[in-house]
Amino acid sequence: MKVPFEWLREFVVIDMDPQDLAVKLTMCGLEVEGTEKQAPSFRGVVAGRITGIDKHPDAENLVICMIDTGRETLPIVCGAKNMAAGDKVPLATVGAKLKDGFVVEKKKIRGIESSGMLCSEKELGLSDDHSGIFILPDECTVGKWLHEETMVQDVILDINIPPNRGDCLSMYGIAREVGSILDQRAKLPIFNLETDAGKKVKDYVSLKVLNTDACPRYVLRLINGISIGTSPFWMRNRLIKCGMRPINTIVDVTNYVMLELGQPLHAFDYHRIRGKRIEVRLADKEAAFRTLDGQEQKLLQGDILICDGEGPVALAGIMGGENSEISESTEDVALESAYFNPLYIRKTTRRLGIKSEASLRFEKGIDIDNVGFAAERAIFFMNRLSGGKVMKGEREVHEKKELKTLFVTYSNINGLLGTHISQQDITKILRSIDIHIKKEGEEGLLITIPNFRHDIDEPADIVEEISRLYGYDRIPATRPVSALSGQKRSAREVSLDTTKEYFKGAGFFELINFAFFSEKDRENFLIPPADERASFVGIVNPISREYGVMRTFIAPGVLKSIAYNINRGAKNLRFFEKGKVFFLSGEGKPYERTAICFAMTGREAEFFWRDKYSDYDFFDIKGIMEGLMGAFGVTFSLRKTAEPFLNPQRGADILVDGVQAGWIGELREEVLKLYEIEQSIYCAELQFDIILQKVKLEVQYSPIPRFPQVTRDFSFFIDDLVPVGMLTDKIRGVSPLITSVGIFDMFKKEKRSVSFRVIFQSYEDTLTDEEVNRLQETIIKELTNIDGISLRA
Amino acid sequence: MDIGVLQNRVDKELSSIKTIDDVRKAKVSLLGRKGIFSEYIENIKLLDKGERKGAGQEINAHKLRTESRLRELEDFYGEEEKKKREAASRIDITMPGKMPLAGKKHPLTQTLDEMIRIFTSLGFSVAEGPDIELEYYNFEALNIPADHPARDMQDTFYIQNGIVLRTHTSPVQIRVMESQLPPVKIIAPGTVYRCDNDISHTPMFHQVEGLMVDKNVRFSDLKGILSMFVQDMFGKDTPLRFRPSYFPFTEPSAEVDIGCVICGGTGCRVCKDTGWIEIIGSGMVHPQVFRNVGYDQEEITGFAFGMGVERVAMIRYGIDDIRQFYYNDIRFLSQF
Repeated sequence: MKVPFEWLREFVVIDMDPQDLAVKLTMCGLEVEGTEKQAPSFRGVVAGRITGIDKHPDAENLVICMIDTGRETLPIVCGAKNMAAGDKVPLATVGAKLKDGFVVEKKKIRGIESSGMLCSEKELGLSDDHSGIFILPDECTVGKWLHEETMVQDVILDINIPPNRGDCLSMYGIAREVGSILDQRAKLPIFNLETDAGKKVKDYVSLKVLNTDACPRYVLRLINGISIGTSPFWMRNRLIKCGMRPINTIVDVTNYVMLELGQPLHAFDYHRIRGKRIEVRLADKEAAFRTLDGQEQKLLQGDILICDGEGPVALAGIMGGENSEISESTEDVALESAYFNPLYIRKTTRRLGIKSEASLRFEKGIDIDNVGFAAERAIFFMNRLSGGKVMKGEREVHEKKELKTLFVTYSNINGLLGTHISQQDITKILRSIDIHIKKEGEEGLLITIPNFRHDIDEPADIVEEISRLYGYDRIPATRPVSALSGQKRSAREVSLDTTKEYFKGAGFFELINFAFFSEKDRENFLIPPADERASFVGIVNPISREYGVMRTFIAPGVLKSIAYNINRGAKNLRFFEKGKVFFLSGEGKPYERTAICFAMTGREAEFFWRDKYSDYDFFDIKGIMEGLMGAFGVTFSLRKTAEPFLNPQRGADILVDGVQAGWIGELREEVLKLYEIEQSIYCAELQFDIILQKVKLEVQYSPIPRFPQVTRDFSFFIDDLVPVGMLTDKIRGVSPLITSVGIFDMFKKEKRSVSFRVIFQSYEDTLTDEEVNRLQETIIKELTNIDGISLRA
Repeated sequence: MDIGVLQNRVDKELSSIKTIDDVRKAKVSLLGRKGIFSEYIENIKLLDKGERKGAGQEINAHKLRTESRLRELEDFYGEEEKKKREAASRIDITMPGKMPLAGKKHPLTQTLDEMIRIFTSLGFSVAEGPDIELEYYNFEALNIPADHPARDMQDTFYIQNGIVLRTHTSPVQIRVMESQLPPVKIIAPGTVYRCDNDISHTPMFHQVEGLMVDKNVRFSDLKGILSMFVQDMFGKDTPLRFRPSYFPFTEPSAEVDIGCVICGGTGCRVCKDTGWIEIIGSGMVHPQVFRNVGYDQEEITGFAFGMGVERVAMIRYGIDDIRQFYYNDIRFLSQF
């Protein structure tokens, strides 16, 4: 909320500059987000007095004003009509700079020399008003530069009012806070309302409130014979500073008093109130109602309505009706000041999506005790600005309730805060915010809460009040008494850490993508609608269609990141991402899992002067997978895949203990095309939760063998269709003395030749040649027994 | 047996030595098993018994001299050879080196890991909760009823009736308290979602929630723990202040500001000229929250806090556009 400093000072003594006050407010819970200096941009404009006005000899629409500047009297040619002799006006002297850098020159207008110009508010940049010359208020001193006048200078505090502090949504409300902080007392404005003893409100309107839960207080006042016009500069200026647009003397007053006291008000055209009666009730059936912004609103049961003799005239607390709206020709006004129950207002505004300055305040709860005073204040201003006569008295319904009472103990306060605030300080702080102390006891205080504090319900709320006004900076910083206790990290945490560290070490960069994608991604990956990955968790209100559903797998995001980087000149990429994926069960219940995706494209590096690099292929990503599973202590196997987005010749399902835990391989060209990628991508995605069940994190030491190992190499011709992976397992299975089987060569001429290196190792003794020879025989026999395998001589 | 001939043959061999290879050859031809000295020693047997001793001694003395001479030559030519080898091994050491492949964790992960490290060292353990959350856990249980004005502050993604994408990590507080009795000392890092997308908002971002509940947990403890965190995360001399704020699930509530790291407190665009940057929302757990999870709020107290990982990372690295974290541009990722 914007709070003009000069306005605030009307209610409370502030003995410091706005910046210092801003820090104090911030440290007491009203965060000042910024201070804006209001200073006029014009220079060389002096306050002058019109001593005489003559007709221009050659132009009917122009006059010549004689302006007393305090030093001399200058003739100024002017086209406006709103000024009279004796008025104080702003005179832009020769050389003056006005809004937008316009410089005033001495010039002849229709033969008469004008030594400057009289200015409108718009020309000075003070408002949008260009209807005539700005008639200065009496306080202005003739001969003084206008930019030095306090009326055009101010500092506006931009205060972030916490959502629970509706009582601070007014100048007086802020002043009350300032008072408690500065040890001052905010004072309500004093004014003298004159009423017309001859006419009494009760003779002209009747009032009935049918539901006092929805509307516990309602006040109606009447003023007649007014003429609506433009509000004076000071009022318009304050409205503008607070971010509101001045309209006319009636609307401006309702807004002004709302800003001043926090009480929203509504003005009806008295003559449009049918049957001269007002009835506050809840809507009992669905109905249509046109509010004054011209919108047709659908009313539902439970909305609070202000009705006249025939039907609704306002949607209570939210917006008036078009049918009772005041206009430029309105002469008699009925003014409403009321308290509406926040719960009702919130329900209606949420449903209709209407937000107004009035509903904002009603929603948070206003001061029910201030309803009558605000009506008096507003009718006073209407009378002052629009003339007319204020009728005597008012119509009022007021259902009074007892003040909230609380008991707080001193140990409540100091125990929760970790402080030793004295009883004296506590009572002083509470009194400063209008909390009444009913009883001061040994243990604590019995207090009553003023009606404007809707946020105080229980002792903790009082602790907050005391702590913020005592000062958070005065509360010590301590070490908790509660004992520290170590806790072993869960297997999940450790495994996720292992994953991240592994990929980092393997040269992969971590991605974080939004957990949303679009249904299009499923289509792009050719995944059939019956697949689990097509059972999307949809978002009712997504930010865009591209992010319409929660992702069911991570690969599309990784692919998009690859495409993004390729488009920016990168070619060789290694990425991984871990994150949640989301599905909808058959019963329509969402569930989530964690997945890990990694991908590589291009080659290790673009070049190194000494070496040549080859492009990544299946065995690079397979190696990454082997390393990862090794880090988890998990064994896995590959199976022919049916994943529609993988090249079936270069892809596989990943099985852990026979359970499918993911996939690995080269992405199909037609999938890549949809993401506008033209180079091969090798990618894998794992269901982390399945792997987590098999993870072996505990390391068990095995002794280092004391005896030498023996190495033997074997070469076989192996038919293309015989999977070599199976053969290494077979060799290893020959004897526990075989500790390692590696493939150190593979080439193809007519037949495929594969060379194995086998390491034999005993933990008990040195292996003899005979033992190794015997095992060698067995290996050769086992392998050559298989169709399509023969020993290479 | 003519020792003079031996002498000549040896001298000839030795004098022809020009390289370390010659030394090695000479060693074999002179001292080897079939070398000259072996031959002569073998031939001693052929001599008369009386001559054998003298000849043996003479040959031996000769052999020792030869050995010593060969060692000298070996040292000399060895050194020369080494120098040559070294000279030949010259490379241009200004050519670029070969870097090992090295990847990086995302800057958000690095920042989060650091935050977790600090809090675990202060005795907190890590808890998790679902991203797709019941509206009840996200709002009601945290004292944010359906029509509460605080819901205006958050733009929630809705999944179904009563189910939302969590807008903060605070629901983990409730889940943890529902499942265990005090004392509770957890942090809950995680992904959260809000309907927002501009230079300072992304629809998904990360938070770390913290909760400590026990007998006699005080506001001053909250100050102590968060001060330790700030000093560890941002440096010992980082100015910080606690200022009153409002959250529906804490009372009293506090916002923690640190001195602006960009301008050092003199005022800049990042800190909106205040010299301070907001980093943590915190407060004492609201009694209503305790009632909601069935804790006895007369017996125990607690504090809770939450902070944005992106915000901490932005401050840490001087990043001014939050969306950078989610473009996944390798030129960005490789900087951290």
